[in-house]
Amino acid sequence: MQSIYSPGDSLLHRLHPLTKLAATALIVAAAYLLPGLLSPLALFLVVLLLAYIGGIMGSFLRPVLLGLLPIVVSLFVIQGILFPPPGATPLQLGPITLTREGLALAFLISTRLLTFTSAILLLLRTTHPADLVFALTERGMPRSIGYILLVTLQIAPDMISRATAIMEAQRSRGLETQGGLRPVRALVPLVGPLVVGALVDVEERAMAIESRAYTAPGPKTSLRELVDTTSQRITRWLMLLGIVALIAVRLIGFFR
Amino acid sequence: MNTTRRSGLNSTALALIPLAIAINIAIGQIVQTLKLPLYLDSIGTVLVGALLGPWLGLLTGALANVIWTLTGLPNSGPAINFAYVAAVIGLIAGFAGRAGLFQRQSPRWMSALVGGIFVFALTLFVLMFLNRSPDPDAFPPFPSAGELLQQYTIVFVITTIIGLAAGYFILQRAGYAGIVGLLTGIVAAILSAPMAAIVFGGVTGAGTDLLVAAFRASGGSILESTLAQGVTSDPFDKMTSFLIVWLIIQSLPRRLLARFPNIQAVEEPTPVPQPAAIR
Repeated sequence: MQSIYSPGDSLLHRLHPLTKLAATALIVAAAYLLPGLLSPLALFLVVLLLAYIGGIMGSFLRPVLLGLLPIVVSLFVIQGILFPPPGATPLQLGPITLTREGLALAFLISTRLLTFTSAILLLLRTTHPADLVFALTERGMPRSIGYILLVTLQIAPDMISRATAIMEAQRSRGLETQGGLRPVRALVPLVGPLVVGALVDVEERAMAIESRAYTAPGPKTSLRELVDTTSQRITRWLMLLGIVALIAVRLIGFFR
Repeated sequence: MNTTRRSGLNSTALALIPLAIAINIAIGQIVQTLKLPLYLDSIGTVLVGALLGPWLGLLTGALANVIWTLTGLPNSGPAINFAYVAAVIGLIAGFAGRAGLFQRQSPRWMSALVGGIFVFALTLFVLMFLNRSPDPDAFPPFPSAGELLQQYTIVFVITTIIGLAAGYFILQRAGYAGIVGLLTGIVAAILSAPMAAIVFGGVTGAGTDLLVAAFRASGGSILESTLAQGVTSDPFDKMTSFLIVWLIIQSLPRRLLARFPNIQAVEEPTPVPQPAAIR
C-alpha cells in the first residue's frame, strides 16, 4: 500500500487514531493561532519530541526539512530580501539589506509550515491507514468514503507505474516528449490510454464490489479492533476544548 | 447485474472514484517530470464530474487532495490545503457534464471571442500590476483601465489578436468544454489565492514563485501577487484538463459511456449521414 506508515510498537503507535488526530489538530491550530514569534518553533520542538518517543526520529527529520527547503528559501528571498513589507526597518548584513519585519514574517510562515507538515507526517507515520479509517467510520464517517480512501492508497502506485509504462510505450512508437510545445501535444496520447484503461476497469470493479455484498444493507463486522481507554477519551475532549479556546481567544483579540 | 441502482455512491461510483483519484495523482506526478508549467492534477476530478454528476465530482475533488497528501509522495504536502478548490472544480465539471457541454461543439466564433477576451483581460491585469503606483498611500493604487489602454494600445491590440487566433484555432476543437475550463481556472485561482497567501506566504517552492516575485516587485501585496500568479497560470491548466476530458469522452464508445448517468442525459448530437446505398 502506498502510504508512509512505518510499523512500530511505541506509545504513539498504540494510541487510538482519533487521539492522534485530535492532537495533530491541536498542534496545527496552536501553530496558527498562538501569538508570539517563537511559538510555532516551540511547537515544532514538541513534535520532534513526540517523534522521538514514537521511535521514528531517524527517518523523520530529513523528509520534512528537505521537502520544505525550497519553500523556505523562496520565502526568505522574496519576503526577507527582495520585497519586504513597506516601511520596514532595514538591517544590514554585509552587502545585503534585510529588513527586520520581512525576516520576521518569513520566519513565522516557515516555522508554521514546518510545524504543520511535521505534525501531519507524525500522524501518518504512526497510524495505519486502515486503523484511521476504521476509527473514523466508528464515529460516523460513511463507510464509502473510508473505502475510497483505502482503495485509492492501494492503487495509486499501480496507476503511476501504468502511466510510466504508457509513456515509455508511446515514446518507443515515436512520440516526442521533449522540446517546445511537444510535451503539451504529447499529453493526449499519454493520458488517453490511461483514462480509457481505467474506465474499462470500472465495470469489472463495480461487479466485484456488488458480488462482495458491499452495498447490501445492514451492519458489518470488522476484522480490525482498536483499543480505546477512558483517559484517551478525556484527553481528546480536552484537546478539542483547547482548539475552541484558541479560536475564541483569537477572535476576542480581533474584536477588541 | 445492476450496479447503478442507488443514485449517488453506487458501486459504479465506488469503482470509478478511486481510479479517478489515482489518475489525478499519477498524471500529477508524471507531469512534474515532463517539466511543463502545468499541474494537470484535476483530470480525474473533471472526469468524475462529467460522468457522475456535480456532487460526486465535489466529493472526488475534496477526497483527491486529501488522499494525495496522505500518500506522502514528493511535493504532495500542500495538496490537502486546497481540497476545497478541487471540490469546486469537480462541482463545475459536473454541471458542465449535465448540460452536455462535453459532447457539443461550440461555434468557432464563440471560442475565438472567449480566447480574445481572456487574453485581453490577462494583459490588462498584468499591466495594471506592472504600473502600480509605488506610493503606498495613493488611492486608487492601480492606474485605471482607460489610462492603460491609451498608454499600451499596441500591446493590447497584438495580444488580443493572438488571443482571438488562439481561441479560433486551439479552442475550436474543444467545444464548450474548453471555455468552461478557462472559467473554472479563474474561479480556482480566486479560491486558492487566500490559502496560498496566508498559509504558504504565496510560495510553493515551484517555478511559479518567480511569477509571484515579479508581481511583488511591482508593489503588490502577498495576496494580490498570489492572485495574479493564479489567474495567469490556472486557467491554462484547467482548460487543458477540460480539453483532455472532452477529447476522451468524444472518443469513447457508447457502450462504455452508457453506465454513467450524468452523460446519458444528452441525446446524439449529430445525425449519422445515410450511406449511399439507401438513398
